[in-house]
Amino acid sequence: MKFISLLKKELREMLTLQTLLMLVMLIVLMGSMGGLMGKAADESQAESGKITICDLDDTPFSQSVLKYLEHPTADMQNEVNVITIESDDYAKELDKHDIKSFVILPKGFEDSIRDGKQAEIVYVSRMTSLSMMSNINAGSETAVQLIQAAVKTAMYTEKINSGKLTDDEVSLMEMPVYVKEQTIVADKQGEVSPLMLYSATYSQSLFMPLIVYILILLGSQTMVNAVSAEKLDKTLETLLSAPVSRIHVLAAKMIAAAVVALLNAAVYMIGMNKLSINPTADMPDDYNKMVEQLGLTFDVKTYLLIGVQMLVTMLIALSLSLILGAFARNIKSSQTLIMPLMIVTIIPFMAAMFLDISTLPGIVKYLLYAIPFTHTFMASDCILFGKTTLYIGGLVYQIVVLIICMGIAVKIFTSDTIFTASEMKFSLGRKKQKVYED
Amino acid sequence: MSQQQTAVLEVEHLSKQYKKGIYASKDVNFTVNKGEIFALLGPNGAGKTTTIRMIATLLKPTEGDAKIEGHSIKTDPAEVRKRLTYLPDEAGAYKNMKGRQYLQFMADMYADSKEQAAGYVKTAEEICKLGDRLDDKIESYSRGMTRKLLLARTIMPKPPIAILDEPTSGLDIINALEIRRMIRQLASEGMSFLLSSHNMLEIEYVSDRVGIIAKGHLLELGTPDELKAKYNAENLEEVFETVVNNKESMGW
Repeated sequence: MKFISLLKKELREMLTLQTLLMLVMLIVLMGSMGGLMGKAADESQAESGKITICDLDDTPFSQSVLKYLEHPTADMQNEVNVITIESDDYAKELDKHDIKSFVILPKGFEDSIRDGKQAEIVYVSRMTSLSMMSNINAGSETAVQLIQAAVKTAMYTEKINSGKLTDDEVSLMEMPVYVKEQTIVADKQGEVSPLMLYSATYSQSLFMPLIVYILILLGSQTMVNAVSAEKLDKTLETLLSAPVSRIHVLAAKMIAAAVVALLNAAVYMIGMNKLSINPTADMPDDYNKMVEQLGLTFDVKTYLLIGVQMLVTMLIALSLSLILGAFARNIKSSQTLIMPLMIVTIIPFMAAMFLDISTLPGIVKYLLYAIPFTHTFMASDCILFGKTTLYIGGLVYQIVVLIICMGIAVKIFTSDTIFTASEMKFSLGRKKQKVYED
Repeated sequence: MSQQQTAVLEVEHLSKQYKKGIYASKDVNFTVNKGEIFALLGPNGAGKTTTIRMIATLLKPTEGDAKIEGHSIKTDPAEVRKRLTYLPDEAGAYKNMKGRQYLQFMADMYADSKEQAAGYVKTAEEICKLGDRLDDKIESYSRGMTRKLLLARTIMPKPPIAILDEPTSGLDIINALEIRRMIRQLASEGMSFLLSSHNMLEIEYVSDRVGIIAKGHLLELGTPDELKAKYNAENLEEVFETVVNNKESMGW
């Protein structure tokens, strides 16, 4: 009996409406993320049925391969878009045809087959993000497999008809073509597969959003706790009745919270680097050179540009926390107040880790863009993949949000709202009331 | 009380309306003269803290004004803050700081030079009488010790007026008596005090003049003796009861 009463009391204390709301939000969030990732995978699957090909060989054999690609089996049909290219500046060709990838049957393709050599095909694709799901590349695999099958079928038919099949030709049948992958990053191109590039750079794609997330999380918590503790201990009343500028009080708080958050971020960054295996360390030098050649390494300029967005994000998070801290009625409520901030941080954090946000459907994309933190999670992608307009647009938007948030924070601190805000009592399903003090 | 009649604080029609028609404090008028101890007396929820917070420039009045040495809390709050110190009811201090660090930090807020700040800290050390405990963290202090530290902090710059909300709350009898004596001593030296308390016996002992406040209205004003004589009462508790009953019988 006593135990049940104790247990009930503990559950009432710990399993609050806010906790339940947080759990519901997490389910909704994870469901939405799952949906988006499923959609990305479906799109990738659908892409595998669409093949864009350029036939530079233009021989009866290469044309028969194209026909095979259209109808590999009686009940299968692929959408084959045949294009012509004018140069080997693949970035330009991708832009000209407004496509993300294409396959080239190079000149001499048929001759290689006839000479009993492995024929080369070129797969050109554009990499637009370091996020996990954006680098699933079904189109490449399908094209290569189908071309292999097409060549095999053509050779079998011809050889069986002529009754000749040498041992070399039998071994060639195992893999009659090999794929040479060309990946475009912004306006640079390199002979490497997107998957290899992703493997070489995934630590960056994981670390950057994680560090931004930690910065926001720790900075916000430090700030909310600092403001609410000062309010509840009434040290803030003492301080604000002293002959000291309120802007100085506010600025000191924000700078201190930013320093603490930055220290934490630095420790996490060093710690994570120590914990993780550097993926490029075991890679051949050629790949490392390729990563560098394609501009996928973080140089001083990249760090500076990301740093600018991190700073703006940090200041937004701190001013928002300051505003939220003003509403704290007690220590517990100060923790609850930070919940909305955490939700709007975790959504873009997860989205940026798994998806290329810039390629998401309109409404989802713009909803994510409306969250100011999204732009910092996307910063490394924007800088590395040449999405300059998106970077600048995001930064301008963040600065506008920062000015608004700072304005509200200053207004709260320089008016009596800092002392009256927490007297606003919000109740679910009931009209807000004010509780007056002595 | 030193009978100088220079007004340090002038409160004129001071009101705070939170919502239309709902006043936490309404049309409050009083003055505090140099070297005077003025107390606002009333139960919890009477409007004492709201009035005090407005004078301390923490809340903005919706109507009326208050002036400290001629500086308006509405138009010149920065100047007002240079002329007062405020001790909130149940206030805490920065628990991670040592007592001496806290005094130094607060002295830096009020002083114009390092020397002046050092002087303030020295004064505070003498007032709080915490000795070596000033080198301990505040989190290890008892409630009484914290209150003494805060009182010392409030008094150390010797401002024209110190506002003390429930100054002896949490203190034992000996410490409370010591604080009251200290307030009287400082007042005799020319410092003014605005106190707030619901402890009517304490107020009767320490104050020169008293304002009785209830439901946000200042109902009576006078010295404890004047009020007791006017209402034929033995103490301020009886005065308060009679004042409030009279008002209620008049449909207040």
